[in-house]
Amino acid sequence: MNDNTNMRESVDQIVAQYGSGKESVIPILQAIQQEFRFLPAPALLRVCETTEITPAKIESVASFYGQFRFEPAGRHIIRVCTGTACHVKGSMIVYDAFVRELGLKKGELTDSTGMFTLEKVACLGCCTLAPVVKVDEITYGHVKPEETRLLLKDFLVKSVKSNNKKSSRHIDLQGVQGEIRLGLGSCCVASGSYEVKRSLEETLAGTGINVSVKQVGCVGVCNQVPLLEIIKPGEPGVFYAQIKPEEVRDVLLSHFRPSGLFDRMKTKLVHWLDHIVEDDSPVTFNRYSADQRDTPLCDFLDPQMAIATEYRGVLSPNNLEEYRSKNGFSALSHCFSKMSPQEVIDEIVRSGLRGRGGAGFPSGKKWQLVRDQETEKKYIICNGDEGDPGAFMDRMLLESYPFRIIEGMLIAGYATGASEGIFYIRAEYPLAVQRVKDALEVCRQEGILGDSVMNSRFSFSIRIFQGAGAFVCGEETALIASVEGNRGTPRLRPPYPAIQGLNGKPTLINNTETFSLVPWILRNGASAFSSIGTSGSKGTKVFALAGKVNRGGLIEVPMGITIRQVVEEIGGGIAGGRSFKAVQIGGPSGGCIPASLADMQIDFESLSTAGAMMGSGGLIVLDDRDCMVDLAHYFLSFTQSQSCGKCTFCRVGTRRMLELLEKIRSGQGSHNDLIHIEQLAHSVQGGSLCGLGKTAPNPVLTTLRYFHDEYEAHIQGRCPAAKCAALICYSINDQCIGCTRCSQRCPSGAIAYKPYEIHEVDPDKCIKCDICRQVCPVDAVSVA
Amino acid sequence: MKVTIDNLTIDVSPGTTVLQAAGALGISIPTMCYSEGHTNHPSCMVCMVKELGSGKLIPSCAIPVHEGMLIQTHSSEIREVRREALELLLGDHLGDCEAPCRLSCPSFMNIPLMNRLIAGGHFAEALKIVKEEIALPLILGYICPAPCEKACHRKSVDEPVSICMLKRFTASDDKRRMENLLTFPEENGRKVAVIGSGPAGLSAAFYLRKMGYSVTIYERQYMPGGQLRYSIPEEKLPCWVLDTEIDGLASIGIVILTGQEIDAKRFEEEIMPGNDAVILATGNPAENPILSFSLPVDVEGKLFNHKTFATGRRGIFGCGSVIKNQQMAIRSVAQGKLAAVETDLYLTAGKQKRIRFSFHSAISHLLPGEAEEYLQESLHGNRIEPKDGWLNGFSAEEAMLEAGRCLHCDCRKPVSCKLRILSDEYHANWKRFTGPARKKLTRLIRHKLLVYEPEKCIKCGICVEITANYKEELGLTFIGRGFNVHIGVPLGNTLHDGITRSAFFCVEGCPTGALSFLDQEEGVEYRMRYRMTGNGWEKIGHF
Repeated sequence: MNDNTNMRESVDQIVAQYGSGKESVIPILQAIQQEFRFLPAPALLRVCETTEITPAKIESVASFYGQFRFEPAGRHIIRVCTGTACHVKGSMIVYDAFVRELGLKKGELTDSTGMFTLEKVACLGCCTLAPVVKVDEITYGHVKPEETRLLLKDFLVKSVKSNNKKSSRHIDLQGVQGEIRLGLGSCCVASGSYEVKRSLEETLAGTGINVSVKQVGCVGVCNQVPLLEIIKPGEPGVFYAQIKPEEVRDVLLSHFRPSGLFDRMKTKLVHWLDHIVEDDSPVTFNRYSADQRDTPLCDFLDPQMAIATEYRGVLSPNNLEEYRSKNGFSALSHCFSKMSPQEVIDEIVRSGLRGRGGAGFPSGKKWQLVRDQETEKKYIICNGDEGDPGAFMDRMLLESYPFRIIEGMLIAGYATGASEGIFYIRAEYPLAVQRVKDALEVCRQEGILGDSVMNSRFSFSIRIFQGAGAFVCGEETALIASVEGNRGTPRLRPPYPAIQGLNGKPTLINNTETFSLVPWILRNGASAFSSIGTSGSKGTKVFALAGKVNRGGLIEVPMGITIRQVVEEIGGGIAGGRSFKAVQIGGPSGGCIPASLADMQIDFESLSTAGAMMGSGGLIVLDDRDCMVDLAHYFLSFTQSQSCGKCTFCRVGTRRMLELLEKIRSGQGSHNDLIHIEQLAHSVQGGSLCGLGKTAPNPVLTTLRYFHDEYEAHIQGRCPAAKCAALICYSINDQCIGCTRCSQRCPSGAIAYKPYEIHEVDPDKCIKCDICRQVCPVDAVSVA
Repeated sequence: MKVTIDNLTIDVSPGTTVLQAAGALGISIPTMCYSEGHTNHPSCMVCMVKELGSGKLIPSCAIPVHEGMLIQTHSSEIREVRREALELLLGDHLGDCEAPCRLSCPSFMNIPLMNRLIAGGHFAEALKIVKEEIALPLILGYICPAPCEKACHRKSVDEPVSICMLKRFTASDDKRRMENLLTFPEENGRKVAVIGSGPAGLSAAFYLRKMGYSVTIYERQYMPGGQLRYSIPEEKLPCWVLDTEIDGLASIGIVILTGQEIDAKRFEEEIMPGNDAVILATGNPAENPILSFSLPVDVEGKLFNHKTFATGRRGIFGCGSVIKNQQMAIRSVAQGKLAAVETDLYLTAGKQKRIRFSFHSAISHLLPGEAEEYLQESLHGNRIEPKDGWLNGFSAEEAMLEAGRCLHCDCRKPVSCKLRILSDEYHANWKRFTGPARKKLTRLIRHKLLVYEPEKCIKCGICVEITANYKEELGLTFIGRGFNVHIGVPLGNTLHDGITRSAFFCVEGCPTGALSFLDQEEGVEYRMRYRMTGNGWEKIGHF
């Protein structure tokens, strides 16, 4: 009874905060889930009692979005990322390992003690750390299936520790010896940036070294994180890549002198003692000087061109003063003082900017359409619903450059005559939401948002709307439906949102990256932008480079760069001595381009000619151990699960295609099935209303086109890449030294314990979890 | 705004959809998810047409016309995409259009409807339904091997419904049988001769007479009945049964002449000139004189066309074992009916419609737990054994109880279901896109008027909008997403709570058999009547 009263009170508070209109349904549901960890039925009933929201509405919305749970979850949530990069690096094996570790039976998601709930998540956007697992707010990268128990233990220890008091330090503004920059993007954090930061603060507090520590956004060099940069006046910057917390002290002391004699003495003594106690203290660091050439860092950064990511690794995400000092908001004030709205649009048209969300619609044309509508109310929406597995550009831009995107939106608002902006950001990106929220607050305080923006006659407000876990909401009409508090079902266009969008009013929806390019274009001129790139695709494009390359990360490259340049020059070639097979561009809407076409330029037209698509910019590199049938299956299973379910061809057609792929993948397919799936793929493309359905068959069609022989092999019962579980078999060769590690770790008891003898895999018991191969110290486990 | 559809140009106001413009031109485009005044379309995609300008296929129900638009509504490409849309929907659809018993009945008798009528005590109506398809229900009630019972879904629960004996029951009452024969029309003056009085001949004679023809049966033996009389032992088919039913035929004006040997000469000189058509039902050709009649054979050396039962000579048809030796009397009876229809077609110069089997989708067998869904509206327990023994058959009470065991697996909207109509029209193959594992069938009945079968739903959402428009407190809503999206009452409430005042409109709006009335009967002349009351629609009459 008491519980019910409490629940009613909490719900009433939530309703009071978010409003009782129909459009508040998603924020209300999100708040309820935040409060109760799931959506309790009495709470939903209470919402219906006290708001305009009907039971039909609440049920249809809550059951549409993946974020919402109807069953109580465990105390901690384990999210296994199943994004593309994680998939190709074995995330399903990791997921299965968690299932075994938690003792989950079929259909169960929470362990019997109620401690952990296991979930799959489309993409955590930490592709370079794949496979990635996030437990509550702690992210683990490079997770191995045999380490699941250790990981959970570590989590339980950390989650207790994080409640402890943090060391603090007094900052002396006089006599600053230099600056330390530390990247704090999601990837960096997942790689241990916070630990490095803590160690840094402890060291500084302990030594009295007076330097300013600056958090910068994503550096993009995700393969080298945590990345620490030390700047001393008059000296070139020095980078420390992949730095560990225990190395921080030595690094600092090699650059700065502790203040005061006593401190120095103490430091030395403690330091010396440390060396005696810990004999595994670091001897060498990955130290690169900023002016040093031929380092992996330079190779990675040199071919790039930073426009959307201008000043990366330099800007502190929420420091407005700094953003201003780097020309921030100067484009906006230039617009206000020197340009009419039409001139702004003309400039965008001249720049040749095309939307970075995937389809590449000319942005200037879209802006003009919105401007031409004669209505009082217009909206600007920043589409940050980056749902593609294998893409994290939007997340990184939102986390690192919130002011730049706000500036882009303000310019768009000024040009089109809109007065309200909305950031649509995935709820899976909490850090991005927080940074944008903070940035918006700063802007409001500084008069950059609100009435008379920067003392002009232009008024503009921006709010955040958090997506609730539906990939289809990246489609603009579905996104609008979602903001209006409906199921994220796309509708037929025309009318286009530019004419009839949010609440029936003209609405400009651009991708996050598009907005972040705008200030640069207005500052440097349209021709500066259009001089970069190819004839049809101007400027730069941000890609999330991941997969089987040596150096993954977030890259911004000029349009027209070749795939080979990206893979070999920036990515440093294929990791582990394997051979380059293909790149997957554009995520589930894109396609696989084989290595033989690697000299192709990356631009909108070339990609679509090749059957792929720019998409939002995931670029996953594949090697000879990646099975293309498996990959096609992977992408289709994603889009199939994300279909809104409206159009027959997408709802049923993608499902049937997936079933055919399952059949082929398990060696049960026939030549007829290949003909069948291709036919159906074309029908689904033609018979679906929105981009999701129209592009969902792309991964299947491109792999059929470029890797037909692999499909043939599967029909004959072979998986050439040794990936498809039904067609492979594990065995142990005579290199086995009888160390018994495989036997001890085998979860299904398929390997008998035979110390100092050659071990054997029982194929009947083997569940193909790959753990034996990973723990084997001598590569004695072979897969065929 | 000028738009050209199939080479016809029309001027329409802006905002008109392609579908509406086509309608104004008298061009029909199929639709399912579209319903005037509702907004959730397009989803089904059967209204696809081709916009010749862009070369794209577009859903005509939702695309507004633009100036100079060129539309094509019929082509093999368009037909194919519509058919694929239907086939995808059918691949996700679960239900028997017709009950498996009816499909396996060679005479296509509407068994489930007969069962329901018996269960409700409407015995005369039940007999009427039986005799729509079977001329000799009393006889067959004794000797039919009942393929229908082998197909009955009830067998997955306990035992199949005793269909054969129920059929016998409908015809076993003298008064009822006689009354049934009173409804026959006056003779129209055209004559048909039937040669042979076995099951096929009797059946053909019955239906020809029912259509108004004067019928004379010529029988070689001294007693009519053919194989029925001479091949079946008395203990299986008592002679009085045979005589009773044949007397009934005589009572409606069918002339039965026995001891008539028809040779080639008599055939040419008497039968052919004296009749408008002749039906040969003479049994096994090896044992009768038709080989001596001058009948041409076709290229395969056959006397009869297997589809139309016609011979190479105008006006002469055949049925029963004369075409191919028949093991089951019910097949001969069925052929007699079809031959009668073909004869009628010939005599009316094709003005009548040929009987053809409509599209149907089927559930081959029930999965564990599915029979329980059907059992919700059936009587439980094993077969009723007639207390007076097999020969005497069911009493009225027993018949009602046994008929009540029927699972009503036939669809309640076999005639109005748009999915069926269009699948028929587009020759859709429902098996083309079936998945490896089928969904589980459900039937929701928690409502005094309605039945909801979610696996027949095409997710058009028309009912969702209807319940909202009628301000239902709960109504219906979309639940879930993608392949698993379905329509249900929100927050776990029952159908009874979800639909209060809009039941009638939901059933009417539903384009398939997903939402229907509990006692809806289509394709027969019985209709229910409803009236609006304070509590919504209520049934006031039945049959």
